Amino acid sequence: MIEEVADLGLLALTSMVPLLLGAVGEIVSERAGVVNIGIEGMFLLSALTSVIAEYYTGNLALSLLVGVATGVCVGVLHGAISVYLRGDQIVAGVGVNLFAYGVGVVSLITIWGTFGNSPSVPTIPKFMVLGRPISPMVPASILIAVGTWYLLFKTNTGLRIRACGEDPRAAEAMGVKVLRLRFLSVLYGAALAGLGGAYLSIDWVGQFTKEIAAGRGFIALANVAFSGWNPVVAIAGAYVFGVFDALAIHLSIVSMQPALAYLFKTIPYLGTLAVVVAFVRRARMPSSLGKPYIKE
Amino acid sequence: MRRLGSWRLVEYSSTAIEVAGSVAAGIAVGGAILALLGYDPVKGLSLLILGGFRDVDYLLSRATFIMMTGLSFAIPMLAGFFNIGAEGMMYLGGLVALVVAVYTGNAAVALVLGSLAGAALGLLIAALKVFRGVNEVITAIMLNWTLHYVVIYLVTARFYDPLAPHESVKVPKGARLGVMDVAGGRLHVIFLVSLAAVALAYYLLYFTRLGYEIRVSGLSPKSAKYAGISPRRAVLNSMALGGLFAGLSGALNVLGFMYYIDNLLTSMAGMGFDGIGVALMGRNNPLGIAFSSVFFSMLILGGQTMQIVMNAPKEVADTLSGIIVIALSLPYAYRMLVSYLRTRRLVRGD
Repeated sequence: MIEEVADLGLLALTSMVPLLLGAVGEIVSERAGVVNIGIEGMFLLSALTSVIAEYYTGNLALSLLVGVATGVCVGVLHGAISVYLRGDQIVAGVGVNLFAYGVGVVSLITIWGTFGNSPSVPTIPKFMVLGRPISPMVPASILIAVGTWYLLFKTNTGLRIRACGEDPRAAEAMGVKVLRLRFLSVLYGAALAGLGGAYLSIDWVGQFTKEIAAGRGFIALANVAFSGWNPVVAIAGAYVFGVFDALAIHLSIVSMQPALAYLFKTIPYLGTLAVVVAFVRRARMPSSLGKPYIKE
Repeated sequence: MRRLGSWRLVEYSSTAIEVAGSVAAGIAVGGAILALLGYDPVKGLSLLILGGFRDVDYLLSRATFIMMTGLSFAIPMLAGFFNIGAEGMMYLGGLVALVVAVYTGNAAVALVLGSLAGAALGLLIAALKVFRGVNEVITAIMLNWTLHYVVIYLVTARFYDPLAPHESVKVPKGARLGVMDVAGGRLHVIFLVSLAAVALAYYLLYFTRLGYEIRVSGLSPKSAKYAGISPRRAVLNSMALGGLFAGLSGALNVLGFMYYIDNLLTSMAGMGFDGIGVALMGRNNPLGIAFSSVFFSMLILGGQTMQIVMNAPKEVADTLSGIIVIALSLPYAYRMLVSYLRTRRLVRGD
């Protein structure tokens, strides 16, 4: 029993990484006033490109970088649409998700001739904690969260970012270049989403599957609201949501009935929903969130 | 509404430009992807666009489902509410319709209860937002995934067909919506049901107090409040209607086209999301949605034709609709976003 709980606790560390990276990036973007519900699509696309990179080069560091760069490319698109072209940020995010799904399947078919998953690739080397393998991305993502918290709340740049999301007009009057800073914040979020996507494929699963994101982009989004737009609180959120995910995986494996596994798979989604319903009311979102800033 | 003033002409022509521009962007990227993959882009695109017409009955039947999920997105959007939950509502509507049809043998009862199940889910999403302040995107996506697995579980473990283990029990013959002969061809009855649903949605939105309240709340929640209309109630009503149509979509899929649910939900998966593109292209107007659903159905079937003829992956059609949705987010959605955000603030009560 204790053994199982410890297993679960450590497994949750594995599943928390994408939820944390996605949320921390999105917190910066939303603090600057831009919503991105395309994290799911970014996860998918960078999970795909990093596997492709590793499949052809065998270079892990490069593949991780390719994943981040893919996120940034999608971020340029989303940033251009939502910041400069004043488009509907939510609709653009939906479009990114649809596009990513199509690209994922098309690439599987044309590169490997398969419909569901890519061949396996070697994953990032793990270190041992209590006799169990843990990815270096776990401490790395926690450090990124703490660093981002420092950036947002202890530096002048962070103050400027938050001003863009609260009152862009006043920020502009104080000399902040609102459009540029919003754009850069979207890119920061996209880079972290790209890292999260690369983690999914070349660190955790060891291959690309068309359902590899499995709603995690949206659970990360739930984590943003849960955290009250605070990257350090998001660490706790990611761990809680990670426990649900780990529980689902664990129960699917130990249950004797294969059909029951489908029911266990609902745990992360129902758990996330329950947590959000119970806690989210206290959170206050940035006042200019989702609104395009129109320069006079 | 009735007089075609010059401002309306201007609006119509800008609509035409935006829709045409988005389609052109989608086609350009689709062609680029085909070329990148080493296929002839001209041949591929012409198959993608025209290939859907090889079977008009199939084209219109498939349009039926996304016409309904399109309404499911459009009506809440008119009230300033973002419904991304049509996917789950459709699964639920399909499941309830199947179970009711199996136990009662009555198509009408199954259709009504399937639709109502969708409406209940819509109300739940709206109520969590209105009364608890929970972001509707998060609620809807979590419910989509939950229902995805619950329906798969029930189809696999409870309502499976012993003779075909990957399929659910079949809708009994007496409870099926059939196929009729029209001008020498066939047509599934469900297409006519969906046209009736479009007419109903149009009537409700533009000729009743209910629809008026929805539209006014979406355009300006402040004026709505001033006129004694509650934007909260409008959002709840719009989501009940949105859920109703998505539930109907699932019910029609099961009762009038597939007659069972497969254990991977392939006959329904993705149609809720396709409805978003359909609604955006149809400008959230039921009549526009009737046409744009046929357009998106054309792309999806065209993708299948392209796959058969050229062996190019049919999912190129998905990337194409993704680009169209991204492009549609740009000029038009700006107006909608403003009203959406206004409602969101009022609904939250700050």
